Amino acid sequence: MHSATHDKESAQQGRRKRVPIFSKYRLKVALREPTAAIGILAAILFSYLIVAPIVSLLGDAFRVQFADSMRIGQAAGSLTSYNFARVFKSIVAPDILWYPLIHTLSVALGAMAIALVAGGLMAWLISRTDILGRKWFATALIVPYMLPSWTIALAWSSIFLNRTVGGQPGLLESLGFEPPDWLAYGQFPITIVLALHYTPFVILLFGNALRSFDAQLEDSARMLGARPATVARRIIIPLMRPSLLSAVTLIFAKCLGDFGVAYILGAPVKYDVLATSLFRGVTARQGGEAAVLAGVIILIGTISVLIDARLVREARRFITIGSKGSMNRTQRLGSWRLPMTALAAAMFTVSVAIPLLVLFLSTVMRTPGQFTLENFTLAYWIGHDLPTTALRTGILVTPDFWQAAWNSLWIVGIAAVCAGVLGVLVGYVVVRTPLKSIGAYLRYITFLPYLVPGIAFAAACLSIFAVPHGPIPALYGTAAILILALMADQMPFASRAGISAMMQLGKDPEEAAQVAGAGWWKRLVKVVIPIQKGPLAAGILLPFISGLKGLSLVIMLATPGTDLLTTYAIRLVDFGYSQAANAVVLMLSAIAFFGTLFLQKATKTSLASGLGG
Amino acid sequence: MPRITLRGIEKRYGRSVAASVRNLDLDIGDGEFLCVLGPSGCGKTTTLRMIAGLEHPTAGEIQVDGKIFDSVAKGVYMPPEKRGMGFVFQSYALWPHLTVQDNVEFGLALRNVDRKTRRAASDAVMEKLGIAKYRDRYPSDLSGGQQQRVALARMLVVQPSVILMDEPLSNLDAKLRLEMRAELKRIHLESKATVIFVTHDQWEAMTLASMIAVMNEGTLQQLDTPDNIYNRPRNRFVAGFVGSPPMNFVELTSDEGTALSASLRQYLDSVGLGACRGSVGIRPESISVAPIAGAVPATAYAGQAIVTGIMPTGGNWIIELIVADEKLFATVNAPPRIQMGEETSFAVDRADLHLFDGNGDRLPDDGAVSPQDEQK
Repeated sequence: MHSATHDKESAQQGRRKRVPIFSKYRLKVALREPTAAIGILAAILFSYLIVAPIVSLLGDAFRVQFADSMRIGQAAGSLTSYNFARVFKSIVAPDILWYPLIHTLSVALGAMAIALVAGGLMAWLISRTDILGRKWFATALIVPYMLPSWTIALAWSSIFLNRTVGGQPGLLESLGFEPPDWLAYGQFPITIVLALHYTPFVILLFGNALRSFDAQLEDSARMLGARPATVARRIIIPLMRPSLLSAVTLIFAKCLGDFGVAYILGAPVKYDVLATSLFRGVTARQGGEAAVLAGVIILIGTISVLIDARLVREARRFITIGSKGSMNRTQRLGSWRLPMTALAAAMFTVSVAIPLLVLFLSTVMRTPGQFTLENFTLAYWIGHDLPTTALRTGILVTPDFWQAAWNSLWIVGIAAVCAGVLGVLVGYVVVRTPLKSIGAYLRYITFLPYLVPGIAFAAACLSIFAVPHGPIPALYGTAAILILALMADQMPFASRAGISAMMQLGKDPEEAAQVAGAGWWKRLVKVVIPIQKGPLAAGILLPFISGLKGLSLVIMLATPGTDLLTTYAIRLVDFGYSQAANAVVLMLSAIAFFGTLFLQKATKTSLASGLGG
Repeated sequence: MPRITLRGIEKRYGRSVAASVRNLDLDIGDGEFLCVLGPSGCGKTTTLRMIAGLEHPTAGEIQVDGKIFDSVAKGVYMPPEKRGMGFVFQSYALWPHLTVQDNVEFGLALRNVDRKTRRAASDAVMEKLGIAKYRDRYPSDLSGGQQQRVALARMLVVQPSVILMDEPLSNLDAKLRLEMRAELKRIHLESKATVIFVTHDQWEAMTLASMIAVMNEGTLQQLDTPDNIYNRPRNRFVAGFVGSPPMNFVELTSDEGTALSASLRQYLDSVGLGACRGSVGIRPESISVAPIAGAVPATAYAGQAIVTGIMPTGGNWIIELIVADEKLFATVNAPPRIQMGEETSFAVDRADLHLFDGNGDRLPDDGAVSPQDEQK
């Protein structure tokens, strides 16, 4: 080839010649592109919003807290191992850590097992068989996941509540049965309720995997003489294993941080899980203890998410994209068709119909279970002069409810808008910045809250924002701390959506505008944002819905003045106003359900793609 | 109208990887239609984007009409939005949220042209390109060819004096491509702009260009007229890249050599070109297969070959020949009167032999070896 040696020489020369990192020219180029500057600003912002709280929390674990300084005779703020000793070894350690840990693990493992069996079966029925109403079930069985996780918990207690706690009697109680404690509270109901709420995870993830499964792989085994059972055992199940395991690992991570269910069903019998133990630690001003507990939760959460990430990677190896073999092949169930349809219907009844119906009935009946006309009432919704000590009006005429609804709207709204806009901005910087390290840092840092269960992140926010730092005043009790925490918590989803939207957009439309004479701001406003308005709207709406129904993150941050609908409902539960609480949760469920449906219709995205959030 | 000058341009993406464009000097005359031709990854698109200001060289200087647009040494940089050049992207890069009309008027709006003038200008351009009837449609409602015309209209409406095009025709089907080539030539004539057109398609380059720059592995191989690129390729890369089926090469370097190279060496000695010790290139159409006796000049290289393949391509026939154990391709433009497996005679005119030295560089037609080459 022509002057091959010459080329090689110059290539070597080129390699030896070092490109200067800083030069006037590069500086000029960089100054024309504000992405680097925005990237640095965003990196600082997220360091403060995400990294600083977690670091501060972990720091608290090693420091003497104000409440403990008298007891252990050390100045507040000095280094100590007292917190660890208290949580891991002291006489109260079993109550603070070990029992809650065992409880958490046992309910999470139980929920995983049930969800795996129930969800696996349902996923198979929906995606590979000819049960009646297949399409309808495909959406209907996902509904529990769209609702707040503790909806079913409230329904459960409306049914099984017994004399152990006060308030309106449960349905069974008023029908003359006395449900035993194990059925009403604690491990059994928590496990069942969590399983029902997270079964859709398995249905979605496993169902997707089943649908995209290349039928040619099955066929080639059949052609070699394998019987259906052998095909299932040797081909399908091994290939499906990563996605199944991924679904249950995600369920584990979610159960770990779930506060509402365990609080509603566990607190009456002092059945603590890590999340409720952390909540008690924080409300009892045990800062050091809470920090260590939150650290434990973060550690377990991180490990499970990392395991999941690895499983997802493994699952991806097995995916054959765009093959014509991935057709929707259905198995004829024959005489099993009706029984199997009935099974899916039963699943829907147990996980959606009964809970919602019970919740609704509880809000329109004076005495549960008594189906006489005069027993029905709208008083709990719009009545006045109810025979209760406080809250003597129906929920819809209670000013506190409207205050909470308004708070939910604007606090979660602002957080969602900020998260959505920052998500697009992060996407823009990550995809465009000439400073690759800033892009990588932003990507990791905005993903970080995903590893930290909401309740632990709330503890982290409290540890840094509850006290004044320099120019920033103490934020506890203000809406600002809620906005910051909600926003940071939604960043993993928002930034991932922003990055993928910008990747899809590519550079061309923007460069075309640039060549046509548009400066950076014009390009952003006239080209990038108008094109991205769909993803931007989704990036705002999805965090909004999930923030609206989320409880774990805000339970420790909201005060009566800044109550959101979720925390207001829990407060009502605390005071025994179960009808009012149920009414609030019903309304939240309706908003979450229709909001999710609308979002799916409007953006044509499937829920499965947003599962992480 | 502008002259564009590139001096010592280098672009490397990482600090350790080899440069994707190295030490590039290029002078593009006023009103030129320059095609930058090369295989994928040769640095042609990078070069174009550096001229547009979308990429930034790591060394060198770019001037337009004596005005410095980029200079790494002097620290001068003119952002793309201030260069006033026109650019057509391979993907067209139409803005999906704007109608055809708004796409076309975008550049005028940025220049604060009033609505009426804008409308008149965009109407005129769209009319000329035959897309006026689509003015209210969105890009996603248009076919590839229509999108291509919108991209052209959007670029032309601001009357740039430098037009840069990055493989703009590669996504069109063959018939449309031919139409658009004619359109582009017309646009070039009317606008009198300096055009730089990047392509990997040699026929596109041949048909459009007034000058062709052939690039390979980041370096400029030859900057010349289409005629010289084809008939006087400066090195073996250019010779092999341009032309289809590609030029046949016979190596002369090895002392053993094949029977064909031995016979060619003998022939070269006999016609006074014996100094050539590199390789000989023969274009397929230069080989006459089964020539009519008497029509072959005495000075031609002639021999016997076995026909091992006949491939009709419509108007032409590609014939695979085995000459003394080496494979040669010939093209003829009349139905060959021979069959597969037959033996036939062939001949190549002396003037049709391209001689290359040991480095692959072209030797003068008289076969003289440069002193520099002799040293190696």
